[in-house]
Amino acid sequence: MKLIIGSGVVLALLAILPSIQYVLAAGDSTGEYLDRRVEIWGLFYRLMIVAFTVGTVVSGLIVWLVLRFRESNPKAKPTSYEASGSW
Amino acid sequence: MRHQVRGKMSGHSTWPEWVYVGVVVALLCYVGAEAWNIERIIEHVPEDAKLIKVQGQQWLWTFEHEDGTKEIGELHLEKGKAYKFEVTSKDVIHSFNIHDYTVLMDAVPGRINTVWFSPNVEGEFPIQCREYCGLIHYNMRGTLIVEDKGA
Amino acid sequence: MVLELQKPRPIWQIMFSTHHTDVGLLYLITSLAFMFMGGALALLLRVELFSPGVQLIADSMTYNRIFTVHGTTLIFLFILPSASAFGNYLVPIMVRYKDMAYPKLNAVAFWMIPPAGALIWLGFADFTWYAYPTYSVISAPGPAADMWIFGLKMLGVSSILGSINFVVTIMKCKHPDLPLSKMPLLAWAYLTSSLITLVAVPTFAAALLMLLTDRLGASGFFNPVMGGDPIAYQHLFWFTFHPEVYILVIPAIGFMYEIFPRFSRKPIFSHSSGMAAFILLTIVGFASWAHHMYATGMSFTEKTVFMVGTLAAVPASAMHTFNFLATMWGGRIKFATPIMWAVGGIALFFSAGAGGVVNSAMPLDFITHDSYWVVGHFHLFVMGTILFGTVGFIYYMFPYVTGRMYNETLGKVHFILSFIGTVMVFFTQHILGLYGMPRRIYDYPAYPEWVQMNIIVSIGAFIIGISMAIFLVNLIWSSAKGKPADMDDPFGLGGKYYFPYQAKNPSH
Repeated sequence: MKLIIGSGVVLALLAILPSIQYVLAAGDSTGEYLDRRVEIWGLFYRLMIVAFTVGTVVSGLIVWLVLRFRESNPKAKPTSYEASGSW
Repeated sequence: MRHQVRGKMSGHSTWPEWVYVGVVVALLCYVGAEAWNIERIIEHVPEDAKLIKVQGQQWLWTFEHEDGTKEIGELHLEKGKAYKFEVTSKDVIHSFNIHDYTVLMDAVPGRINTVWFSPNVEGEFPIQCREYCGLIHYNMRGTLIVEDKGA
Repeated sequence: MVLELQKPRPIWQIMFSTHHTDVGLLYLITSLAFMFMGGALALLLRVELFSPGVQLIADSMTYNRIFTVHGTTLIFLFILPSASAFGNYLVPIMVRYKDMAYPKLNAVAFWMIPPAGALIWLGFADFTWYAYPTYSVISAPGPAADMWIFGLKMLGVSSILGSINFVVTIMKCKHPDLPLSKMPLLAWAYLTSSLITLVAVPTFAAALLMLLTDRLGASGFFNPVMGGDPIAYQHLFWFTFHPEVYILVIPAIGFMYEIFPRFSRKPIFSHSSGMAAFILLTIVGFASWAHHMYATGMSFTEKTVFMVGTLAAVPASAMHTFNFLATMWGGRIKFATPIMWAVGGIALFFSAGAGGVVNSAMPLDFITHDSYWVVGHFHLFVMGTILFGTVGFIYYMFPYVTGRMYNETLGKVHFILSFIGTVMVFFTQHILGLYGMPRRIYDYPAYPEWVQMNIIVSIGAFIIGISMAIFLVNLIWSSAKGKPADMDDPFGLGGKYYFPYQAKNPSH
């Protein structure tokens, strides 16, 4: 639950900050043009944060699943389908 | 492999999957909105951007400034000014790329594509071709030279 | 079983057969041969790119030909035929029918592949597997270019004929007691990928024909000198080849739908979710093609439309991932070779997809277009997901096809080395792309970061190469001398190995 709220806050910040920056930014006059590098790479870093957050969750889940449900785990117990022999 | 099927396909609650799909869709909307916004910002060409005509051909780049000055392989620009590139090709498709300034636009024969930027750091930056164009595609390079002319 | 090397059948009997298990075997052997050949070409490329300067390949044109044939071979002569191989074996069984709907047509579709492969390999064209005009029209040397065009024409027809066969077999020949909604998900994978083929591939057939007439000077569809538009080709090409990537991945996902439940000892978490995801992807997959063309000078509105179309296809893939993980949850999983490949495949599928979501963001194309980021991204799909899923399924089906077990230790070593190598090569290539290295280049300037990363990539490629050599040895040795498998339950899972309706090859 905390994870979901936390991620929501991070996302909201990631969305709001660039918009604030745009509104406050200088216009197009000589010497004050926007730097396309900053905009594009900034977007890239924001999306990377999202991708790696989701990636950590998904890979962590896969690792946990593999370790917890492998047949050699001491806590492993037969599934309810093994009794009938068909799944 | 037989499936136990009666009425509802899986016979168990599927709400976690709906929450998961909801989260995925929310993230995708975020990505889409951000990308749309940034693209909108960077595509707005300043009115006083100076025009530079860029022509790619197998296997070199040529440039023409507003005042008619032509350059081959090297492009001299002034720091702090805005420039609009009109990119085309003489023969096959190339792609004009100044990676250090994230400038990238295909050079297509029979067509003029536009991209703009404003160099804010002086120095020398590589220009490369980013669309396969044959024998010397790998070495179809140039140099952007940004000079600080004061003021 | 069809390949019992201890009780050999005359080779002409297999070659002239129209039985689905024999045609499946022919597809399988052909696709594996091309897999090794195309992979070997990649090793040549990586030797050359190990560091700046000439290592192995004396001139850039040879290098360009090698990467063109590498890509063309692995997509059209390995991935597609390997999907057809298992489709041929299993679709009739899964729908409880005696063979494919059109057995002779089935054999014809297969036999178009070796000549097409010969045309591609004897020609060795250089214009990349895209064959974009105007380079492919005015600059690419013939006869290589024309042989490639004819080869691909034949492969396209073969694909269409095979797809017709799958669709008719599934929709019309399935057992009357089997509703579509209870059909195994692997059969759904073949149904949906075949439907995509039937809609998408004819467009490329048209584009190829137009390319050929342009090359002959008889038309100017794509040549601006004659009033044509090179971008039109790109639209036709990507209208086919974006859905094509779903044609490639859907069977591999289908293979995972067999492996995960089997080895987890419980049924798939949600059969209906799997069906819905396949159908959704089939439809939405057609809405995103021009995200490959962001750099061609499209308008802002056009780019936005295709970005939305691209993002819309993500939930379907997310549903498959959820399904696999939820299937493992609560299971008692035996980690034999097939499921190791499937789990590795899902982990890499996720990273490929994450990169894909990043790619769909239009402004980022200014960084990544035609750079090694793209190479890293799509290889995580074709190698990380599709090859991993396919190889896992080959191990799973090995006893079914040969009656023998492969060597389990070698299988696991193959997996571990391939996984390490895949991560080393394709994750690093993402970073190389961020540093600006273009793709399809024979040599590069000695920027320190490029040099260091290319070394890592080449070493990773050789690790993959070693793992594939182990695979080849395992395949050949175990087919001839492997321990005979317990055909009821070769993996010792409990429960039945395969569908109750086993294939009956009339020549056995």
